[in-house]
Amino acid sequence: MNPLIWIIPVLPLLSFVLLLLFGRRLKEASAHVGALLTLGSLVLSIVVLLNQWGGEPVKETLSWLTFGETTLSAGYLVNPLNALMLVIVSLVSFLVQVYSGGYMHDDDRFPIFFAYLGLFTFAMLGLVLSPNLLQLYVFWELVGVGSFLLIGYYFYKREARSAAKKAFIMTRIGDVGLFIGMILLFWQVGSFEFDEIFAAVEAGEISEGWITLTAILIFVGAIGKSGQFPLHTWLPDAMEGPTPVSALIHAATMVAAGVYLVAAMFPLFQASEAALTTVAVVGGFTAIFAATIGLAQADIKRVLAYSTVSQLGYMMLALGSSGYVAGVFHLTTHAFFKALLFLAAGSVIHAVHTQNIHEMGGLWKKMKWTAPLFLIGAMAISGVPGLSGFFSKDEILAATYADGRFGLFWIAVIAAFLTAFYMFRLFFLVFTGESRGIQEKVKESPVSMTFPMIVLGILALIGGLINTPFATYLSDFLAQNEALEIHHHETRWWIPVVATGVSLLGILMAWLVYVKKKVTRFSESAPDLHYILLNKYFIDETYDYSFVKGTRALSYFWYYIDRFVVEGLVGLVTGIVGWFSKIGSRFQNGQVQLYSSVAFAGMAILLLVVAWIGGYLT
Amino acid sequence: MSSVPLSVYLVLALILFCIGLFGALTKRNAVIVLISIELMLNAVNINLVAFAKYGINPGITGQIFSLFTITVAAAEAAVGLAILIALYRNRKTVNVDEMDIMKH
Amino acid sequence: MESILLSALVFSPLVGILVLAFMPNTEERLLKTVGLLATLLPLAFAIITYVGFTPGNVNIQFVEQYRWIDFQIKGLPNGGDFTINYDLGVNGLTVVLLLLTAIVSTLAAAASVWIKEHWKGYFMLFLLLEIGMLGVFASQNLLLFFIFFEITLIPTFFLIGKWGYIDKEKAAYSFLVYNGLGSAILLIVFIILYMKTGTMNYTGLSSFLHQPPEVLEQMYIGDEFRFGLLIALLVALGVKLPIVPLHTWMLKVHVQAPPSIVMIHSGILLKIGAYGVYQFGIGFFPEEFRQIAFWIALLGVINLLYGAFIAFVQVDFKRVLAYSSVSHMGIVLIGLASLNGAGMQGAMFQVVSHGLISALLFFLVGLIYERTGTSLITHLGGMAKVMPITAGFLLVGGLASLGLPGMSGFVSEFMAFLGLFKEMPVLAAVGTLGIILTAVYILRAVLGMTFGETKESLLQLKEPRFVEWLPALILTALIVLIGVYPAVLSDILQLTINAMMAGKGAVV
Repeated sequence: MNPLIWIIPVLPLLSFVLLLLFGRRLKEASAHVGALLTLGSLVLSIVVLLNQWGGEPVKETLSWLTFGETTLSAGYLVNPLNALMLVIVSLVSFLVQVYSGGYMHDDDRFPIFFAYLGLFTFAMLGLVLSPNLLQLYVFWELVGVGSFLLIGYYFYKREARSAAKKAFIMTRIGDVGLFIGMILLFWQVGSFEFDEIFAAVEAGEISEGWITLTAILIFVGAIGKSGQFPLHTWLPDAMEGPTPVSALIHAATMVAAGVYLVAAMFPLFQASEAALTTVAVVGGFTAIFAATIGLAQADIKRVLAYSTVSQLGYMMLALGSSGYVAGVFHLTTHAFFKALLFLAAGSVIHAVHTQNIHEMGGLWKKMKWTAPLFLIGAMAISGVPGLSGFFSKDEILAATYADGRFGLFWIAVIAAFLTAFYMFRLFFLVFTGESRGIQEKVKESPVSMTFPMIVLGILALIGGLINTPFATYLSDFLAQNEALEIHHHETRWWIPVVATGVSLLGILMAWLVYVKKKVTRFSESAPDLHYILLNKYFIDETYDYSFVKGTRALSYFWYYIDRFVVEGLVGLVTGIVGWFSKIGSRFQNGQVQLYSSVAFAGMAILLLVVAWIGGYLT
Repeated sequence: MSSVPLSVYLVLALILFCIGLFGALTKRNAVIVLISIELMLNAVNINLVAFAKYGINPGITGQIFSLFTITVAAAEAAVGLAILIALYRNRKTVNVDEMDIMKH
Repeated sequence: MESILLSALVFSPLVGILVLAFMPNTEERLLKTVGLLATLLPLAFAIITYVGFTPGNVNIQFVEQYRWIDFQIKGLPNGGDFTINYDLGVNGLTVVLLLLTAIVSTLAAAASVWIKEHWKGYFMLFLLLEIGMLGVFASQNLLLFFIFFEITLIPTFFLIGKWGYIDKEKAAYSFLVYNGLGSAILLIVFIILYMKTGTMNYTGLSSFLHQPPEVLEQMYIGDEFRFGLLIALLVALGVKLPIVPLHTWMLKVHVQAPPSIVMIHSGILLKIGAYGVYQFGIGFFPEEFRQIAFWIALLGVINLLYGAFIAFVQVDFKRVLAYSSVSHMGIVLIGLASLNGAGMQGAMFQVVSHGLISALLFFLVGLIYERTGTSLITHLGGMAKVMPITAGFLLVGGLASLGLPGMSGFVSEFMAFLGLFKEMPVLAAVGTLGIILTAVYILRAVLGMTFGETKESLLQLKEPRFVEWLPALILTALIVLIGVYPAVLSDILQLTINAMMAGKGAVV
């Protein structure tokens, strides 16, 4: 159909290579190169998406590697899910690059930044286009590297270094799960291709136990990438990277790759109830767990980061409850409003040069564009009726309820309440009241920064309309994929009411606490709880004392074994040999007379022996 | 006329050889050591001549051989003494105990 | 039979040795230039061989066979007439290894600009070493293999002992003693094989030893005897590979030898062990190897984890890399032990890939040491600020080493584990822990050197010139090429490996 599909990821790669080679000469123009090439990807992606509308999936491969009788292939696959993801990724990437042109203006490593963005966008688009698990894994790791490089962009900061390292290692722990799952699946099916795996699952060629095992292992990969509990700790730390990066990678695209992975492998998960339950429980737990931490954080980006973790948990919950459409829908809307929130936060940071919300305040009047746009984002994520988040969150709640997971349903409702509360806590602390810091010349950001926010703001406003209870465009579109069985559940009328109720209640609570100051802050009313939340349940410390210190101790143990036992044994052997030679060397005192005495004695003994053996002595 | 039996020559040579060996292995003076070596060589010469005369296959070979030995021994003694003198000039000693730098 | 290409390839460094022999000892620039140029000749021959090799042909190609030594031992059962041929030839694996050797040698010669003294002797020994390495891979019989194997030992001994760092003598002796013992065992095995079978040719030996056990039993080559030979072979080659706990010499060498020699050593010389296990261990004793495959895989996993754990707490980057080599050689063992197409190919990919990656990393060590006089991680730090390109290459090398997809390390790691998961899933699952640990120690070391605040002592540093990091660029390009399109290697390797798997051995 469209022979130019492979161009989509190649354009950002080209931008990476060009900027790496000629970045120093291009300087300011690097932003244009990066953005223009990504714009090309965006246009092509939209064309592909439109072609997919009612079209057939496209798949083309060529051989990549041969061993034994097996040939592994590489290529691309476009189906409705992929096409949607293509547009999301290239759109957000394009907007972020435009935004970065303003945000990173003063940085002297400007071209490298855009080169890294190009690399990341390439990897992410490649991931989305992968027709098989192996290729997906390849790009899966590459997006990890893109993320790693960009988190560590301010390499001279100690925190950035540890954050980058942590992000890479934590996600790699998850990746190993995916790695094992992928290989085990290969030996069950004999192929990495998605369609062949699904066909084998459909035909019942794989036993129930294997399906569950491999599905959960693959989900471990998603846990790592999407920052789900217990591998979530890297994501908030990843905020050490520049803010546009947080918007692109750690809000809209890469972290959603875990959700995408589960969605792409959905037929496998559907075949195992246990795997689905695992996904749902992990997702639900993460949703509420991260939301509670988000209540107490003081860094504007960290609040948003925990919010991302929580929302990703939501998506997982949806997928685990067989709510395929709900999960993908929320992924889409979340990409818009969370990228918007991050970009707005970046705009604020750009203006006030701090990330601590307690030093901000009263910015509503000073930032005419950023403030309303942030409000739109906050309303969308809180689920205020009519905005995009409302519809997708509603869909998730409905799916969870319809799947009979009532416990998780109520957890999700509480998480929705918490979300509304902490988002508006953030909003009120940053934009209302009096300025608490020393920000004298606060200026609105340049157009290059406000324009992307406006685009995302519009999408956050109306994005929900692609799948309302009245017009299920997205659902129909995704249902084109024949491998999926998409459940249509009837929406219960009271679920949207409850959802709206809790989100409004959350906003009201935040208003009472932070604007009216009628209710005491809970840092004062429950200091112990606040302390625990502020320290993120001490998960980092626990990991540090168990895994990090444990590995270090084990390493030292083996190191000393190596130093003293292994080398000691070697030393023992050489020592014994040396001891013998020392004894031998006493005879070698340089005295010719001793030598000849020994030689003569030796000859005499030899003669005696010969005589004795020859029988001359008897 | 009864001749002296072969065994007597051999015993003489043995005694000479043992004296030579003893001297070569125990004496400290390098000149004495050289002389002892000459003694051992001469013991061999006696054996050669004795076997040439009274051996199983008498002939002239042994005597010729002993002439060679004497010549070579003379040359050897000359070279040995020359080395000894060179050593003496360098180290002011002919004591073999002090000549142990070969071990390094 | 007529082609003399391989002889020309193997002995082409002699030209350089002869030219160097007639040059004055003091002309530093000239000697270095000639030394570098001399390695281009074998490189050209290796490329010709590689291009001329027909991948679709399972047979051994470019065969050269001449009668070489004839002798007779009376009273032996087979009549006592012995002939040893001069026997060269390449298959899909060795042609790749020859090319790798030539490439790494040229780049190591380029890295020899950091040698400070006695350039003449250095380059002559260097070229002699290259003859040895090329010969090892090109020979098709045990005696020739052994001779070339020994030729690699002696120059390496001097190169380490004379041009190394502070504790170089100890490292050189350690190297010689371990490898000498290994090659003594190897020699004994070879002689026994020869006396029992009457041939030294690989193909001949393979087909002889692949006869049914009953037939072999009659020729006094019983089961236990074959096991004994296999174990002796594994010990001898295990020293070279190295297999824990026979690895301590290798650490000393990696730390004390000059970087250019470590590039060769880690890149090629260690690979002789892997090649030997493949060619002799699996080629001659496939059944026996299969029976102890579990233990070999276990040793591989131990190597993998042991090296990774210890590398995590090293303060000297060279030691990190040394232990990382131990760890990466574990992957070779894992792949070989799985004895299926994926695993074997993974092992061979790892041989090539680790050759390139460790050459790259040690090249960078040399580059950095030349400027800073240290390779301690704690003394370096924030290098990315003053030397962004060097730091970038270091990061690339590190990422390649930890098996990042898109680079050669991933392909080999992936295939080795793919193979092992089929045969021994539980052991393989334990081994995957190594993937995480590798990331941990590599990032700790590399980020410790490049990221963070720039140390004051480094602030004066200047970025190296283009020619200086050109070798790194070439190596990176090769690593990425293999990683992105592994078919460049797999097409040429797989027929050879399939033939080996079928237990036939190739036919001359």
